[in-house]
Amino acid sequence: MGLTYLLFGVHPCMQRRGVHSRMESMQKILGRFAAVAGDSLAYAREWKERTGRLVIGSFPMHFPIELAHAAGALPVIIQEADDPITDGEGAVFSFYCGYNRSVADQALKGRFNFLDAIMFSDHCVQLLGTADIVRWHAPELPILFEQPVSSLDMKWALDETRAVYEMLKKDVEELLGVTVSKEALNASITLYNRGRRLMRRLYELRIAGNVGLSARQMLHVIKSAMVMDREEHTALLEELVAQAEANPTQASNAMPVYLSGHLCQAPKLELLDLIEETGTIVVGDDLYHGYRYIASDVPETDDPVAALANWYIDKNAKVPCPTRADGDADWDDFLLRDVQRTGAEGIIVLVAKFCEPHMYYYPEIKDAFDAAGIALLKLETEHDSMPFEAFKTRVETFVEVARRKRSVAAA
Amino acid sequence: MSKLSSITSNPKISVDSTAPRMRSNRIKATRLGSVIVNDYWSDLFAAKEQGKKVIWYNGTYIPPFFHAHDVAWVHGEAWSAYLAARHHEGDAQAAGESRGYDRELCSYARTHIGQALMDKKDLQDGKIDAQSAKGLAISQLPLPDMIINAYPYCSSGQQWDEMIYRLFDKRVPIFHVNVPMLWGGRKDATYLAGSEMDEKIAYVSRQLRAMTDFMVEHTGRKYDWDRLGEVMSFIKKSAELRLEAMDMCTATPSPASFFDWIVTIAHVNFMPGTQRLVEFFQAMKDEIAERVANGEGAVPDEKYRLFFDGMMNWNKVGWLAEKFAANNACVVAGRYTHMSFWQEPQAIDLNDPVPGMAHNYLACPNNSGAPYMIGEIDRLCDKFKIDAMVMHVSRTCRGMTNSQHLIVDSARKHDRAALFFEGDVADESFYKDELLNTRLEAMLESLDSKRAMVA
Repeated sequence: MGLTYLLFGVHPCMQRRGVHSRMESMQKILGRFAAVAGDSLAYAREWKERTGRLVIGSFPMHFPIELAHAAGALPVIIQEADDPITDGEGAVFSFYCGYNRSVADQALKGRFNFLDAIMFSDHCVQLLGTADIVRWHAPELPILFEQPVSSLDMKWALDETRAVYEMLKKDVEELLGVTVSKEALNASITLYNRGRRLMRRLYELRIAGNVGLSARQMLHVIKSAMVMDREEHTALLEELVAQAEANPTQASNAMPVYLSGHLCQAPKLELLDLIEETGTIVVGDDLYHGYRYIASDVPETDDPVAALANWYIDKNAKVPCPTRADGDADWDDFLLRDVQRTGAEGIIVLVAKFCEPHMYYYPEIKDAFDAAGIALLKLETEHDSMPFEAFKTRVETFVEVARRKRSVAAA
Repeated sequence: MSKLSSITSNPKISVDSTAPRMRSNRIKATRLGSVIVNDYWSDLFAAKEQGKKVIWYNGTYIPPFFHAHDVAWVHGEAWSAYLAARHHEGDAQAAGESRGYDRELCSYARTHIGQALMDKKDLQDGKIDAQSAKGLAISQLPLPDMIINAYPYCSSGQQWDEMIYRLFDKRVPIFHVNVPMLWGGRKDATYLAGSEMDEKIAYVSRQLRAMTDFMVEHTGRKYDWDRLGEVMSFIKKSAELRLEAMDMCTATPSPASFFDWIVTIAHVNFMPGTQRLVEFFQAMKDEIAERVANGEGAVPDEKYRLFFDGMMNWNKVGWLAEKFAANNACVVAGRYTHMSFWQEPQAIDLNDPVPGMAHNYLACPNNSGAPYMIGEIDRLCDKFKIDAMVMHVSRTCRGMTNSQHLIVDSARKHDRAALFFEGDVADESFYKDELLNTRLEAMLESLDSKRAMVA
């Protein structure tokens, strides 16, 4: 695929167009996103030193970070680190998901010591335990938690979520010694919505084959959004989208595939590269470090806390989350529709090992895709090491199977 | 005739004089409890014939609400434990695995879900002989008319019932009670108290009342709040007697062990609140009082007092009871037995029991942030004069293995030894007996060395 691809992660489509100077501008932006995504805590530390403002960490997936932003802090969604688990071995058992083990490991290594607080609002049992480990080993670090309703189809779900978010707002205000005005919160919501819309535009361009972003690059766009100063990120995004729209690429003839899963941590870049090196192109996903993060905007109303509560409840209808109990949301049906919407010819399900929500739902997803005759491949991913050669063989086989299904369907 | 002698003369209970002599000196009154449990299961298996609606539920001990409304109930965990204790869980778990449920998932859930799958398909297909002991045990479970989930702390517990709901094609109505975690981050937070606790009690109470509306909707009958008060009067008294009996185990030797309390989990968790339950716990308390007076221990030659942390390994109850007793170790208390069920009966006002019930549901030990839970564990260990901790690392129950390293960290600061051993709640394949043997031996030797040095 060429040195340029290996060095810059640029999809071959972009090379063929010969848009050298515009490519430079886009590459510079993507390079910035990649650098931030590659070491989010370093970015946050530098930002704190430069601005003198506070940094609030948060865990995936459901914390309304606009609250922290409106209070003047930099909200940073804590990421899985790349280093092997060492100190964390004495805190979390090996049968926990890689994200939780990594967070505990980072905490014990003191990586979070510069944070001014951690705020989170979730239900995953493993994450609750990990948060307690962080609290135990970093007693000076305020960790604020309010648990949201997890059964979204109960009558009180919206009112209770509103109450939880009012409490979170109060917690942020007390912690930072500020008052978060309605105007400030609305401004944050507007800014974050703008960012989400821009990222969704990139997704639209990718489905149409008009932007040659690799899966790696798209992940960098999303992951950097989780940790960067949102004004900075949005400004870069504006430029990136403008360049992409002005210079549409030709659609690739690689086989389009959809990636699903990884509800909390980013898939390893090497895995994404491997998938696209087998003759596929990722055209859609429901990854947390992907479409799941940007699918839903917060309504812009004159009651921003209520709007955040509505966002929390409603987003499950857009991209169902298996950690929520919601009788009206069917993840398998959503995936079938979304695979069709994106034009993918097969789905690769990335299951983070020991992710219980995903383990519960996977059999239904598999049954649904088998019944629909759409090629499906499950890859179980781990934090420390993965059998990439074996994965490569399985992805190659999956591609052959998908192509055969396409031929049969066409005939 | 005393309650104790009534056990041996009751024709329903046999005493096998040819059985090998066991090292653990189990409380005899627990056999009275076996009758209560057997009657519960028999009544459950006949529920449909009797025209009763059946609720499948998971999570905290909400059966008094069902009992007051004259519906039958099945606790999914209890059913999984029932199968595991009889070693019938294998086929149900295999059914779950062949459907694609990973072995690393909660084995309670896999067993129960596998059971639901088998009920739907395999018994109808004749793959299991419905007349075999396994077939009979598995096929007797009545299918649900309603599903209710009320799971403190554990997200997997909530998802479990969502999966059951989906397995029944969403045709069985489902209701969720959210029992939120008490993180304890506010300035006024203390163990089970403070503004966070007050708010959560009110929130859970609202949901419990809404749950009764759900039952009314699906049974067509009015809810009898007086009956709930009556049922709770027996539950409250039973809980008080149980706690009083447990308190007597501060004696040396301890008159009862963790394993005596384990076999009474069913009673305090999901047995009907009746006078018979009160009499059972009274019998337990009387026998324990008698043992204290006579200096009789649950382990005849008690040398070590241990605390069992984690979920119970239901496949290995008797096995583990004997193992510790054979090493002269009395497991005196545990998180699951001593911190998990109706621990705060004083909070229940029988004229308006719901807030007190909500208080107790929130008191699930896992539901309190680690500093508070561990503070309570340390307090119990001091109370019962515990020498060391036995940490059961239940592979598929992360709700219970969370914070176990922190518990040990605290124990060591309090000069208590600790060991970890691998196992699981209902999947026997995760249990490693030789590891436990080695580690237990090593820990007890280290206790001996320490004592020798002090002496």
